[in-house]
Amino acid sequence: MRPENYEAQRQPPSNEFELNFGPNHPGIEGNYALKLKLHGDQVVEAKADGGYLHRGFEKLMEQRLWIQNIALVPRICVPDPSPMELCYSMAVEQLCGLEVPERAQWIRVMQLELSRIAAHLFTFGGHAATTGMYSTMYWGVADRDLLLDLFEEFTGGRVYSIYNIPGGVRRELPDGFLQRVSETLDYLESRLPDYDNLFFKNQVFVRRAKGVGVMSQEQALAWGVTGPNLRATGLAFDVRRDDPYLVYDQLEFEIPTEESGDAWARTLVRRLELVQSIRILRQVVEALPDIRGPIRAPIPNPLAWNVPAGEVYTRVESSKGETCYFVVSNGGPKPYRVHVRGPSSMHAVQVLEKMSVGSRIEDIAQTMFSLDACPPEVDR
Amino acid sequence: MSSIKQIPVIEEKRTNPLARVFDELVRFCRSRSLFLLHYCTGCGAIELPPAMTSRFDMERLGIQPMVSPRQADILLITGYVSIKTLKRVILTYEQMGSPKYVIGICSCTVNGGMYWQSYATAKKLDEYMPVDLYIAGCMPRPEAVIEGLQQLMQRIKTGEAKGWEDYYRNYDYYLGNQQKLFGNDWQTPTDVITEAKHYDLLGEGTLGEHTALLEQHQQPLEALEMRLGHQVKEPAE
Ligand code: SF4
Repeated sequence: MRPENYEAQRQPPSNEFELNFGPNHPGIEGNYALKLKLHGDQVVEAKADGGYLHRGFEKLMEQRLWIQNIALVPRICVPDPSPMELCYSMAVEQLCGLEVPERAQWIRVMQLELSRIAAHLFTFGGHAATTGMYSTMYWGVADRDLLLDLFEEFTGGRVYSIYNIPGGVRRELPDGFLQRVSETLDYLESRLPDYDNLFFKNQVFVRRAKGVGVMSQEQALAWGVTGPNLRATGLAFDVRRDDPYLVYDQLEFEIPTEESGDAWARTLVRRLELVQSIRILRQVVEALPDIRGPIRAPIPNPLAWNVPAGEVYTRVESSKGETCYFVVSNGGPKPYRVHVRGPSSMHAVQVLEKMSVGSRIEDIAQTMFSLDACPPEVDR
Repeated sequence: MSSIKQIPVIEEKRTNPLARVFDELVRFCRSRSLFLLHYCTGCGAIELPPAMTSRFDMERLGIQPMVSPRQADILLITGYVSIKTLKRVILTYEQMGSPKYVIGICSCTVNGGMYWQSYATAKKLDEYMPVDLYIAGCMPRPEAVIEGLQQLMQRIKTGEAKGWEDYYRNYDYYLGNQQKLFGNDWQTPTDVITEAKHYDLLGEGTLGEHTALLEQHQQPLEALEMRLGHQVKEPAE
């Protein structure tokens, strides 16, 4: 900490200087940092500096019962927690060979898509804020709150729902809930043209985001990029369609893609996905009243639940990309090992480091928000 | 370490009635214009955008986010602090200008919350810095955050929110806990002891065995002298 110890003092004079970008910086998403080497305002080298949010999830999960972990997993990805719950529950179900009732599967699809819309609204609101358009952020956050109200109504929690358990879901939907979902969807649909006029067609956004943080399809595949970021490079890959889980194979939806692979394309793909999510939700709202039956398969006493030995790998398409769990059980009351493969660890570390090189310093925030990286999930 | 430490409220009313009126006016003004440091330490931060934007709108209370610690009044700790973050939080806290207030949002700042077993998080925030107000919950709703901020405003107005004075008066206690976590050679660029002298807050607990350890390797920085506007030490010549 003493000035004479600073590394910079011992180095020969040069035009390059080092800048700590974050963790306490409004242009960074969450608690995350980058160490930049700059030449003027051009980035020469970027180094990701994570770990500010490390809690040791994978170790904590080994110390808790199978059922207790349900409360822990949504905290891994804060803006989009539902896929985490679902992916873990699916892993336990596969280990035990539990059959999930059909009604529960449809309810789960509804939860996932509501969560996806909420996360996308939040993300492009954040992206708008980095280009100085705060009204889009205000609108996005306010509209997201309507979805959080729905979550609160049917799960009890605004952000962390803790609604899935292995075998099904916890509660039946409240009376008249589907009606309120479709009202909210109507409202959101009526808002989309406003968003287009305010943000997506706005020259400030188009000019600033086009050509920033470009990656080609080969690079994206080599770096392990998934989700909307991959689809923005032109590859229509979506786990919901290519490796269907729940009842996604009975639903109709398209997979929007863009070709250019820059920040503009990535945010546009999210905007197009909103329409598809609304379309899926409409089908769910229509189908759910006719699907009757239990919402939960019978499970043994959760406090003394020895899950059969084995290992499984499950994957789910979250709003950020592919979320996967690798769970190993040795037949005990607690998991033997849980590994979380989140999409953001690739996006925020290796992709961001490579993309920042050569860009201007003011575009770093845009690149990060357009990648939709989620620091708590990087650090876990 | 003993459990939650009571912050002693030291009554100090000036005798001159005019001065007392002036003090009250200053406190009133302070409570009506608060800048919130924009630093999201944990998952509770996700409820801040709703609280700050259109729906709950904390700007109507005169509270606004601020990006630099030097100009901020409130440090919001929004959730668990990992040890790596805690170092930055302490650096940030010491850089903020007095009077400064700390709010601990989320159960994780109170006692470790969900992560009580975790090897990577610091459990009780008030062992490392004085906390003026806790908002418990996992996570607290935006209404609760706003309610908490209103209470803080009330406490500033009545002069009860004096955590920052406690940091100077009991610096040894806080530094000791910090050293326990970060190692004995932990030091920050801010010279807290000199600042305590400057504010006339040198209490019984300011100096002690831990600060003695600090003196072995700390040198006051020039920047601090410039900020305080007077020479802290005789120039070494
Ligand atoms: S109390 Fe809950 S919401 Fe808050 S930081 Fe802890 S786990 Fe996250």
